[in-house]
Amino acid sequence: MSTNLSSLVDRARVAADAVVGAIGEDSAVVISTADGFDLAHAGARAAEPARLAAMMSSFAAVGAAASEEAAIGVPRCLVVESTQGRLVVRCMQVAGESIVTMLLTDKSVLLGLAWNQLSALERTLSQK
Amino acid sequence: MKDFKIVFTGPPGAGKTTAITTLSDSRPVVTDVRNTDVNLSKDNTTVGLDFGLIDLGNGQSVRLFGTPGQPRFKFMWRVIATDALGLVILNDNSLPDPLAELGIYLDAYKDVLPATNCVVGVGRMAQRSSPSIDDYSDVLSGRGLMVPVLPVDVRNRDDVLMLVEIVLAQAETRA
Repeated sequence: MSTNLSSLVDRARVAADAVVGAIGEDSAVVISTADGFDLAHAGARAAEPARLAAMMSSFAAVGAAASEEAAIGVPRCLVVESTQGRLVVRCMQVAGESIVTMLLTDKSVLLGLAWNQLSALERTLSQK
Repeated sequence: MKDFKIVFTGPPGAGKTTAITTLSDSRPVVTDVRNTDVNLSKDNTTVGLDFGLIDLGNGQSVRLFGTPGQPRFKFMWRVIATDALGLVILNDNSLPDPLAELGIYLDAYKDVLPATNCVVGVGRMAQRSSPSIDDYSDVLSGRGLMVPVLPVDVRNRDDVLMLVEIVLAQAETRA
């Protein structure tokens, strides 16, 4: 792991805890590298963060390829809207590193709140 | 117009992305990101899929899909291989234990391999000649699989095309 990524791990833990604290224990956050290694996670629903991190990196990469193909720039968010909940994935650049963050919530959480929390998480990660 | 789907799989660095890029008639879709795994000596790695297209010129085309190599992306291996006409397993003979690497993919696809058109391409044999092609064949026949094994340079279009043609020929024989 690069020095940049190592220095992010502590902040990532704090940021993940803060989002789960704001949304509720029935949510989960996994923060990972773009190549699918989890840096930090929080929440009881993040049962297998390593697997989720790998899946979300694939999802983000396919989203980026589709965005490029459609000439709509660089993806910021991808959403999986499912029958019992949703996954909101935010792609971000922090300290020169590509980071993929996943927020898992149930259907009662408004999508806008999820986006808002992920924006706050990105700001936390970006603080030096 | 008839489309065939062929999937390239194998360990990281075996050359799946290069093979598809070499062969594709259109700009390939690549989902490489910067590699942060210190155990893997490459700058970038595929985390989603690769995609390319070959126009066979007779109203038929072959869609080429590549899987990510690392076992942590195993969930993608079967997703990508769904409804594939065949499988190309690329291996890197310069790896510490190439036959064990082959075993990982034979295990992953063991349910479908007996009924799937398949070929194994072995790269970097010039760098390391052992295990031999016969050693690969022995591993495959030990699992009851009659799968052709060829040395391949994934940068060479003819080499990669040969792998695809073998899968298509197998499919024609089975039809």
